[in-house]
Amino acid sequence: MDSKKLSQWGEWCVCFLNPLLLLLAIYSEASKSNTILLWFGKLHPLVLHFPIVLGIAIVIYLVFFQNNKLAESTEKLVLVGNALMASMVALLGLFLSKQDAYDTDTLNLHKWGGLSIALISWGLIYLKNIATSIQKIIALTYLLVLLFFTHQGAILTHGENALSIPSPEVKLAEEVKTVDSSLTVYEKAIAPILAQKCVSCHGPDKVKGQLQLQSPELIIKGGKNGSILNGIQNEEAQILQRIHLPNTDEKHMPPIDKLQLTLEELTLLNKWVKAGGNFTKKISELAKTDSLAILAMAYKAPTKGSGDNGNNAPDLKQYNSNYLTVNYLFSGSEEIAVNFFQGSFYKIEQLKNLEKIKDKIVSLNMQGMPITKEDLAIILQFTKLKKLNLNYTKLTLNDLQPLKTITSLKNLSICGMDVNQSTLAKFLEKAPFTEINIWTNYSSEKEFQQLMAINKKVKIIIGDNLDAEIIKLTSPIIDQDSSIIVTSLDVVVKHFLKGTVVRYTTDGSDPDSLTSPIYTKKLRFTKNTILKTKAFKPGWFSSDMVQKTFYKSEIHPDTIYFVTNPDKKYPGTGAKTLIDYELGEQNFSNGKWLAYRDTTMKFVIGFKQARPLQEAHFNAFVDNGSYIFPILSIMIEGSNDGKEFKKLNEARFPSLKETDVVRENKSFSCSIPAGPAYKYYRFTLLNLKKLPTWHPGKGTPGWIFVDELFLN
Amino acid sequence: MNEFLEHGLNQNRRKFLSKLSLGIGGLALGSLMVPGIFDASNEEDLFANVLPHFAPKAKRVIYLFQNGAPSQLDLYDYKPMLQKMHGEELPASIRNGQRLTGMTADQAKFPLAGTKFNFAQHGANGGWFSESIPHIASMSDELCIIRSMYTEAINHDPALTFFQTGAQVGNRPSMGSWVSYGLGSENKNLPAFCVLLSKGKGNGQGVYSKLWNNGFLDSIHQGVQFSSGEEPVKYLTDPEFIDRGDKRKILDEIASLNQEAYNNIGDPEIVTKIQQYELAYRMQMAVPEITSLQNEPESIVKMYGPDCLAPGTYAANCLLARKLSENGVRFVQLYHQGWDSHGNLPAEIVGQCKDVDRPSAALIKDLKQRGLLDETLVIWGGEFGRTNYCQGALSKDNYGRDHHPRAFTIWMAGGGVKPGVFGETDDFGYNINSLPVHVHDFHATVMHLMGVDHEKFTFKHQGRRYRLTDVAGKVVNEIIS
Repeated sequence: MDSKKLSQWGEWCVCFLNPLLLLLAIYSEASKSNTILLWFGKLHPLVLHFPIVLGIAIVIYLVFFQNNKLAESTEKLVLVGNALMASMVALLGLFLSKQDAYDTDTLNLHKWGGLSIALISWGLIYLKNIATSIQKIIALTYLLVLLFFTHQGAILTHGENALSIPSPEVKLAEEVKTVDSSLTVYEKAIAPILAQKCVSCHGPDKVKGQLQLQSPELIIKGGKNGSILNGIQNEEAQILQRIHLPNTDEKHMPPIDKLQLTLEELTLLNKWVKAGGNFTKKISELAKTDSLAILAMAYKAPTKGSGDNGNNAPDLKQYNSNYLTVNYLFSGSEEIAVNFFQGSFYKIEQLKNLEKIKDKIVSLNMQGMPITKEDLAIILQFTKLKKLNLNYTKLTLNDLQPLKTITSLKNLSICGMDVNQSTLAKFLEKAPFTEINIWTNYSSEKEFQQLMAINKKVKIIIGDNLDAEIIKLTSPIIDQDSSIIVTSLDVVVKHFLKGTVVRYTTDGSDPDSLTSPIYTKKLRFTKNTILKTKAFKPGWFSSDMVQKTFYKSEIHPDTIYFVTNPDKKYPGTGAKTLIDYELGEQNFSNGKWLAYRDTTMKFVIGFKQARPLQEAHFNAFVDNGSYIFPILSIMIEGSNDGKEFKKLNEARFPSLKETDVVRENKSFSCSIPAGPAYKYYRFTLLNLKKLPTWHPGKGTPGWIFVDELFLN
Repeated sequence: MNEFLEHGLNQNRRKFLSKLSLGIGGLALGSLMVPGIFDASNEEDLFANVLPHFAPKAKRVIYLFQNGAPSQLDLYDYKPMLQKMHGEELPASIRNGQRLTGMTADQAKFPLAGTKFNFAQHGANGGWFSESIPHIASMSDELCIIRSMYTEAINHDPALTFFQTGAQVGNRPSMGSWVSYGLGSENKNLPAFCVLLSKGKGNGQGVYSKLWNNGFLDSIHQGVQFSSGEEPVKYLTDPEFIDRGDKRKILDEIASLNQEAYNNIGDPEIVTKIQQYELAYRMQMAVPEITSLQNEPESIVKMYGPDCLAPGTYAANCLLARKLSENGVRFVQLYHQGWDSHGNLPAEIVGQCKDVDRPSAALIKDLKQRGLLDETLVIWGGEFGRTNYCQGALSKDNYGRDHHPRAFTIWMAGGGVKPGVFGETDDFGYNINSLPVHVHDFHATVMHLMGVDHEKFTFKHQGRRYRLTDVAGKVVNEIIS
């Protein structure tokens, strides 16, 4: 289309755009940013050059070429083109400003400036009817406006010194060569933090907010908002406010798209400011336990390139894993200790990786690791090794011969390795060790002496020769808590030591190592049984005998009631406790026991029809430490009417001796001689009324604890 | 605007506190699996170069704590004067008006009770040992016996708390927690601090979790109490239908949910929980090998005594302690209850010694054989001692002893201590004559052996700095080799 149509269209666009621009600019706070628009905004720096160049050209034209004017239509095209581009650029600029990363004041200036450029460019289209001298003035004004406000844009991106002559770079202190505590806290820790994280925008190159932070004077001088240390008294120093804001806050420093402060740096700045923001206080002047001093000492200013830190010792983090610990022996040491764990996760690459620090490793623990000669070859490179643990590795003594070349190796452990007199002798010759742990039973003292003589410098630590000593086995464990057989009861007998033979009897005789049956699988009992067990193993004394009685409760009374009530603290579940088939446990306060102390235990059982009884067994608890003594005596009486009782039998039981230390269930039985059957039976259980003089509770009554009655 | 600023500041202050209390050792765990938790490497660097302060002699500790207070006069401190004056009243010049404990304060008389047991000297340093502890006696050349321990506490709870946490009041971190906080665990697959309990038949006093509590340190430093049953650590194996890869994924998901919660709430316990799940996951691999005592060779079983295979016994705990320690657990603590013989002492102490004598000696022997004794510190002792006068009725063969905090005996072995006998009590075993060692001094010395300056190793809480030795304690250089 021809230029007239073009300029017409352009003019209409400009007339539309500029009011829109004004509207957007005025209400820009209200509008939300949109990702697409933001992206378009990024084109602003690209296209802004066109209207600037064109604008300058127009100004030159208007000022100097009034006499050589172009054709009207061409002139109009250029003017329209300029205005159109200026408004486009301004629009894109508006989009870009939503990105939030620019200094607000300069941004505002530039924004409105850019808008006025667009508006003036719009106005220029209609300039032709004005007097030439006024045109020139307008043109020059336009130029000034153009240059000034676009320069603001340059400041936004390049800082205050966008146009100034580049000054020599302010060299910040070189990385501190030694950890010198005569440094001030500021020099050691604060200045490097500011240098790395802040000075790029608040320094000699860029002075955002007119704030520079590269030297104490400048920090104190401050910037647009005063010194960052202002407000230090009320703990609201500006710098603290800014660095602690949530990352999403626009005032958060450093800005979110720049490198953030680490926790360590935050802590350091925090503490330094709170302590007064002192630039001259030396680390050594602080108390040794002052966290600021500790942190400042430990702080390593990051340097370019190598991962080395301030005190010339490489960071060991890269060598550590879940199954490998690599640490300096202590803070400030250069010597390293290495520990391997969990053989199933061992990888030779981890050992190979340690070659980088091979000259610093002094202690190596490879106990139980599946290593071969290949791994040993790597270990041989650790020429400063002092202590080496190879317990339970599959190497042989021959493989280890090259270890003797490590002259610093003083302590070697090779437990579990196959050794004999001759291999050991060869190994000990000219060995640099002072101590070697081999843990082999030596049957001959003479052989041991011979070995010692080979290399007098080496202390050989061997195991105990325990073969000669015979120890008694522990008793078998009868794994069945209940003593009551309802219909049948399965009993398991255990012994922890492998290879032990457990023999048992059920006929009341003691188990014999030759004739008694051997326990192989669980036993099943259906009637009253006394189980006796004993453990045997060659090379060991036989164990003590362990026995347990199992009762079949065949007879269940129809009624049961107390004559005297149990102690208030131990009422159990009433008289039923005695016939509920539930045994109380060692924790006698668990509610399953009946206890008597101040009154004598008396209760009656009844049957609907008279029947004879042969035996009564009681399950009781004895614990001398808790003042619970054995039942002193059981008396059984019979009656047919429940009122008149005839004594049937009485059984007495021995009390505890002074030296007894017991805490266990015990059963007490009383038999009833053959005789007439009764409907009712009364039981009287006596407790010790006065504890013996040797007992701490002497003179006071002892307890009896009963929980179950068995009748046959 | 100010409120938001305040909230922002608070949020981060809380984060500082929580992350710093997680401590040096704690940082090593867990951060591998959940990368975002701690910012990059800087937090470890924060403390990585600060502890140990100097070269440690002991890398690990096994503390055999005899709960209830074993009677030093019947085990280690031989006082023939008491036998000579058996039944006579305690001279006033000896007691010198010092206070009595609540239980014997009402006694009219204080008859001296000589020990019923025969004593003999053993080893190069001539330490005296009772006939009830022959095995410990045979290890005399390794033992550093301190006869001049003293404390202020006269009853069990405050005394136990004092020994374990450095103060008679509660709520302070225990020794093991401090060690875990400062040094961490050598083996990342096991906790840094483990606790094993056993009971003897003698008169027992309780133990409770306050004694291995983390106090105000992060709860990841709490002592991990192993169960006394057949399964020291329960639920080690995954259920049938879950394989390890699935478990890993489940844990990762849970960790990221927890991480979100932590970002929102900032509760440091959440971080602990994440780390504990990680530790449990790794323990599944590491623990079964350690707790399977059945695979120990017979010579080991003989050395510790066959009881060592029965779970829950002192012998089994000693064996387990050795296995934990050689696998990198920093602090293993055993408690054996039943030493509180107020009455019937001769009978009770024989039973207790039977439980304890063989395994304690075996532990030292075992460590020595493996070349681990010089870097493992073994400690044996109770919370105070017992009186030289009898509590209750005195007979020719039987007596009881009350609590005596003023002088008692503990011994240490390995880990940089000098074997020998240190400290002397008077002829009546009542007062200390030389080298008094207070609980604080004991703590200071143990810390020193682990390469930690007890005065520098502090934690700030509620406005002031705390340390294990509180405001006291001097390193006892005489016992350090």
